[in-house]
This record gives sequence, structure tokens and C-alpha cells, in this order.
Amino acid sequence: MNPSPLRLELRGVGKRYPNGVLANDGIDLQLARGEIHALIGENGAGKSTLIKMLYGLEQPSSGAIVLDGRAVAFDSPAQAIRAGIGLVPQHVQLVPSFSVARNVTLGAEPARWGWLNHGAAARAVGELARRFGLAADPDALAATLSLGQQQRVEILKALYRGADLLLLDEPGAVLSPDEAHALFTALRTLADAGMTILLITHKIADVLDVADRYTVLRAGRVVAHGASSEASAPGLAAHIVGRPLAPAQRPAPMPAGDVLLRVRGLRRATGVAECLDGIDLDVAAGEILGIAGVEGNGQGLLARALATGVGVALVPEDRLHDGVAPTLSIAENAIASTYDAAPLSRHGWLQPDAIDAATRAMIDEFGVVAAGPDQPIGALSGGNMQKIVLARALAGQPRVLVACQPTRGVDIGAARFLRQRLLALRAQGAAIVLVSADLDEILELSDRIAVMFRGAIVGHFRGEGQDARALAGYMTGARRQDGASARIDAPFAAAGQEAA
Amino acid sequence: MKHTMKHIADFLAPPSGRRTVAAAGIGLLAGLALIACVSDEPLRAWLILLSGAMPELRQGADGGWHWQRLVRFGTVLEDTVNLTLLGLAVLIPFRARQFALGADGQLFLGALAGAVVGLAWPGPGWMALPLAAIAALLAGGLLGGATGVLKWRYGANEMVVSLMLNLIAIECYRLAITRWLRDPDAGFPATPFLPPAASFTPWIPDTGVGPMLLAAPLAVLAVALLLGRTTLGYEIRVSGAAPAFALQAGLPVGRATVLSMALGGALAGLAGFHIGHAVLGRLPVDLAPGLGFEGLLVALLARHQPRAILGAAFFYAWLRAGGQAMERGSDVSREIALVVQALVIVLVMAERWPWPRRWLFWRAA
Repeated sequence: MNPSPLRLELRGVGKRYPNGVLANDGIDLQLARGEIHALIGENGAGKSTLIKMLYGLEQPSSGAIVLDGRAVAFDSPAQAIRAGIGLVPQHVQLVPSFSVARNVTLGAEPARWGWLNHGAAARAVGELARRFGLAADPDALAATLSLGQQQRVEILKALYRGADLLLLDEPGAVLSPDEAHALFTALRTLADAGMTILLITHKIADVLDVADRYTVLRAGRVVAHGASSEASAPGLAAHIVGRPLAPAQRPAPMPAGDVLLRVRGLRRATGVAECLDGIDLDVAAGEILGIAGVEGNGQGLLARALATGVGVALVPEDRLHDGVAPTLSIAENAIASTYDAAPLSRHGWLQPDAIDAATRAMIDEFGVVAAGPDQPIGALSGGNMQKIVLARALAGQPRVLVACQPTRGVDIGAARFLRQRLLALRAQGAAIVLVSADLDEILELSDRIAVMFRGAIVGHFRGEGQDARALAGYMTGARRQDGASARIDAPFAAAGQEAA
Repeated sequence: MKHTMKHIADFLAPPSGRRTVAAAGIGLLAGLALIACVSDEPLRAWLILLSGAMPELRQGADGGWHWQRLVRFGTVLEDTVNLTLLGLAVLIPFRARQFALGADGQLFLGALAGAVVGLAWPGPGWMALPLAAIAALLAGGLLGGATGVLKWRYGANEMVVSLMLNLIAIECYRLAITRWLRDPDAGFPATPFLPPAASFTPWIPDTGVGPMLLAAPLAVLAVALLLGRTTLGYEIRVSGAAPAFALQAGLPVGRATVLSMALGGALAGLAGFHIGHAVLGRLPVDLAPGLGFEGLLVALLARHQPRAILGAAFFYAWLRAGGQAMERGSDVSREIALVVQALVIVLVMAERWPWPRRWLFWRAA
């Protein structure tokens, strides 16, 4: 019926925005039916623009989008959906108070004479879930689901609307290793059932683990493509950033310093999921304590609690919420922790020249790509914004730094830079708490690692030579170290210790 | 030095200003279309709306040149001072993301406090006016500060609190005028005239235009400096632009909130002082209600930029006087002027317009 084996083909697709920015330039891409294709690149490489064009949110300024051998032009997502394209957004967008079935059928509910037929909806969703092996209870409330389950519901939503070409935008970013694994298994099932999947990611591991083929974008162009089985991590990384990266150098262990941050029996209760249940931890000078765990197990709460201490600086978790004031200028953001003293202000009067100079110094030192200190910080890319956030946190020369998800949504080059700055701070004798959902980052930087589950520390590990698989069981609560704590003298979890 | 020049240039001709001027022009043209629907001689009525507030230079019977309609122009200037102060009074809390609508009540209490000091001050005359002004600033500032404290300490919504405090303040004012300050010789409930020591000598006879005219640009300058150049202004702006960020960064958000409302209240109180001591010379039991809300409109018109407040207030006052002139001089009622005002504000506030930018900014392109 379809003469072309290609479900989707892009021929020289380009996108130039009215302001002159060339976001995509001559993109060629081919997706065979039943293929999982990874689209990988740094932030700003043009992945989002490409997705927007495929989903009808933007229109290409050159080239052609070809579906099943026929050129198409989408003016709106509705047309893309009719053509069988489904988008699974990076941040799930479910109605928390609706059941899974109502979320899946939202906007396309089975109805009779204007009355919604919830029974039929639940049956249809249950059937869909069974057919594609995406376990989901149609009657469960969305609010009660884990992020991984919610993501499955998003996929069901796309499938329910008849999609057979799925666009997944950074699906693994918010998942625990186990959930990500489950998701990728599900994707493989879908592909075997004939679905075509375009997986947008900036994680090299995703390409190697799940994709059949890959395409690397850099600065709006395709710089490499091929079969995943023939790809290597260093090779991909070099394509992504445009130059070979030296392998990450584990920092030399520092001689044990004085304990700068000591916490005993810390408890907080804000809700069912987010709580702290008797946290004990120490961080010594010149040490990085990594806090690992699936998101939402109290890490954010812990970070905020720690950051209330005197002389403790914080890199907040949610950059756009409390990390920066997006509408204010870079300078106004940069001075937020130092504006109140000379030289930035005198007797309550701000000193514009000093502020300007300090901000320029920060921009230079951290290699921020910006028009100047007066540019609104919201116009910067995530990586550049985060550099300012870290620069501000370091401006007060803190002895203790709590860094939450310091490289989330930041491209590889900037992430490396930020990590190097953390290590430099450690070398200067600061105590650092690193909270990250990125297990690789925790393993790369930490001297010691504490795994959190449901508000408690459930495992304490040496950072050096640690293996992600050893932590995974603790992160999901399957395993637990008896009396685990992150005190400086606390024992490390023994390998193979069984659940208590 | 380079910076200073740049700051001055930006201050006088902000890029957003062109847009506002364009919006005002389109609003006025729409007003013409509207007048054409209801009037027999629309162009004449429209020209009166535009020029009615303008003083006229006429040759008198004696051959000399005389200014005509200066009193009407005086009202424009009086209103400009009031609306500038009230616009700033709304603007400062707004920049801290506080939607305080208490300018009305603060104006009444400021006027009352100023009048009490002006009437009762026994000491040397030269101190009467400064003391009355300080009393007005304090009264308005305390009322505004109270709104802020209720918000910060007890989480009471500032919009509700300020509207309720308006009622309380206005009734207190009326009580004080009718019960304690009433002039038995006046035919209506009002205070006695303020003594000369507590009054301004007008620059334009029979108007309230005098030294207080300078209060408007000075207040604008003070607020622009406060917000742009002081640490308190920085705290206010950051607290308003990103409250969670301000808290996280350790800024004194509570203090900024309370002080923003107190400072706004003080300026509204100063507007009350202006009305009592410069414009009316005494306080009647009923001051024009809703002045505080016109301050809100002026602040909107200025897009919450202090430097634009003066122009916005003058435009607003000009159009109001023009509307009154139009009502007297043509067959169009002054409500049309209100509709034009509303149109202009809507156009200024609109984020996007249905026609391309280059139509409006062909010069800039």
C-alpha cells in the first residue's frame, strides 16, 4: 500500500527565523518504518526547531517534509496529528485530577449525543495498553503515578490519536535508570509492532542503548549519521561538540579536611512524597558528597534545608523559578548575593560602574555567550544562564556549596565547564553537596555518594570506582543499607547486601 | 561619563516610548471615528477635544495680548501633579508585584493630616507648609505600610485590604471634617480656609498652580532614582520580577514589600496635601472620588516606568480638560473623551497589535 519503505524523510529542510537566526540548515533525515532513530545534539543545535516543524508548530523555510513518499506541509499540530504524528513532550502534561483513561482520551473522548462515555474510554485505553505492552491502569489518577508511568500515559495519548510516528522529546531526562530502561523496552516493543520512533536526546547512552540509527545535529546541521551498532561514545561526543573531548579525569582524592557541614536528624514534612526522615550527613573541606536518587525522594527539600545555613551558597534546582529573575538583566541577576556591600553599593546607592565591571568579569571568567551585562538573562541559553547562577553562588566565596542539578538541560560543553568549576572549588577546600538526577555526573564528581529514597538515606557509597548498577537497587527502594547515613565515619554499603 | 550620557538619553527617549505615542495617536484617531458617529460636526468637536485644554493668546480691546483660558489650563497642570503623584503611588508597589489599590484612602488621610497641621500649627509660619507636607506623607505612608504589614505578616491579600482601608480612611476623613474641623460659617461641610502661612501663592491667578508644580517632576526623578539606583529599589524590583528567586537569593523580600507600599502611600498622601494646600485651600467633605484609580490608569499608561509617568499624567489631564471643553463647545458629551482614554490604555497595554510593527515603526525599521 505504501510504496515507500520510509515513513518519514526530510529533504534539505531549513528554518530561518524572522530575526535571521538559522536554526536548521539543509537537514536530511530518513526514518524507515519500525525504526528507532535517535536525534542527538547539544542545546541550541536545532533539535527543538526540527521537532516543531515536524509537529506543525513551525513551518520550514526551505526543503520538504515527506511522509510515506508524499510531501506534506503542516500549518498546525492538528494536521500533524491527522497525518499520524504524535509528540510526547519532555515535561509530561497530564491533568493530575483525571484518571489515566480520561487523560488519554482528553479532547478526543468517546461520546454519545454530547455525553462523555467514560466506560468506553477506559475500555479503549485498557485495550491499547495491552496491545502495546504499556502497563497502565486506566482508572488510576494521574497524580498518583510515577514520572515513568506518566510518560507511558503520554505515549498512550499519542497512540490513542492514531499516531504511528512518535516524537519523544528527551524522555529519559527525568527518569530513574530502571524507569528509563522500562521505557526503552516499551519503545522497542512499539517499534517491533511497526511504530516509527524519533527519539530526541542529548544523552549518548540513549543512542547506544536503544536506537537503531542516529543523526547528530550541531549548529543546525547534520554532522554525522549512521547505525548505532557502529557508533562509539567518544566518537559521538566528538561529533556533538565538534572536537574530541579528553576522557573525564577523576580528580585526585583530597586529604580529609575539617567537617564544614554537619547535619544530624534533619526532618521535614511537606507532603507524602517529599519529606525528610532523619537525615545525618557530613561534608568535609575539599570533598564532594553526591546525593543520588530518583527525583522527588526528598533531595530538593534537603538542598533547600541545607542552603538556609550561614555561609552556604545554593545552585537551585529549578533555574527559571528561583535560580534567576528571567526578565531582569544579567547584571541584576549576577549581583543578587553581593549587591548589598561595597564595591557594588555604598550607603544604599548602587554603583553602576562597579556592577557593570563585576558582571563583565563574571561573563569573561565563565565564558558566558551574551551581548552584555544589560541583556535580559532570560534570553540566554540554559548553559549560559547556569554559568551566571554558579558564578553568583561562588561570588560570595562560600565555604559550603549546595549544587542542585547543576548541569540539567545544559549542553555538553557548558556542563563540562560547570563540573570543572565545581572541582576547582573543591580543590580550594570548599565542601560541596551535589544533588543530581544524572547518575553519571554523581559518579564522575563525588568523593562519597548517599542514595536517598523516600526522604531517607538508604545507602552510603565510596565515589571512586563506583558502578551505576550498584546504586540502582537502592534508588528504587529495592535495597537498603541498615542504619545508612552520610556521616564522615559512616560505613559504606557492602556489595550484595540484601534488603532489610 | 559615557554611561551618564547614555542613561540620560535612555531616560528621555525610551524605545518603548514610540510605541506609546503611536498607541495614543491611534486612540485619538479612533476617537474621531467615534465622534463622527454621534456628532453633526465631528471634526470641530474633535479639534476642541484636542485643543480645548490649550491656553489661547488673544489680542484684547486695548490692543495688548492676553492669555485666555488660563484657568482651564491651570486645571490641567493641577491634575497633572495629582495624577503624577498617584501614578507613582500605584507604580512603586506594583514593581514589587503588589496590587495595592489604596491610593484613594491614602490621599484622603494625607489631605486630612496636612490640613490638621496647617490649621493647628501655632509656631513660626515658615514651618507650617513643610510640617503639613510631612504629616501628609506620614499619614499616607502609614496607611500604605499597614497594608504591607498585613500582607507580609498575616498573608492578607493586599487588594482586598487596601480597598477596605479605603472605605475606612474615607469615612474617617468625612467624620473629621463634619464633626471636628467644620467651618460653622461655610454653607456646606468643609474646613475653614487654611491660613496664608499654610498655603501656596499661585503662579497663575485663580488656580492652584504654584510651587507644588515642581513636586511632579521631582517625585518622578526621586522614584526613578529609588528604583534604578538604590539597593532598596533593587530589592523591590527583584522581589516583584521573581519573588521565589529573591527569597532564594536572601533578599529582604518582606521589607521590600512593606516599604514599597509605604512609599507609594506617602506619595498618595502628598497628592492629598497638594489638593488641600495648593488647589482647594480648604477641605470639603467630599473630594473627587476615584482619583486613586485614575492613578492606576496613569501607571498603566506609563507601562510602570517612572520616567513615563509625567507624560502619561499630562496626557490624561489634557484629554480630560479637552473632554469638558468639547462638551461645552459642541454636541458631543465628554464620555467620548473617556472612551478615547480607555482605547489608548488598551492599545498601550496590548502586547501585540493586529497590524505589523513596521507600519508603526517605519522610521525605526
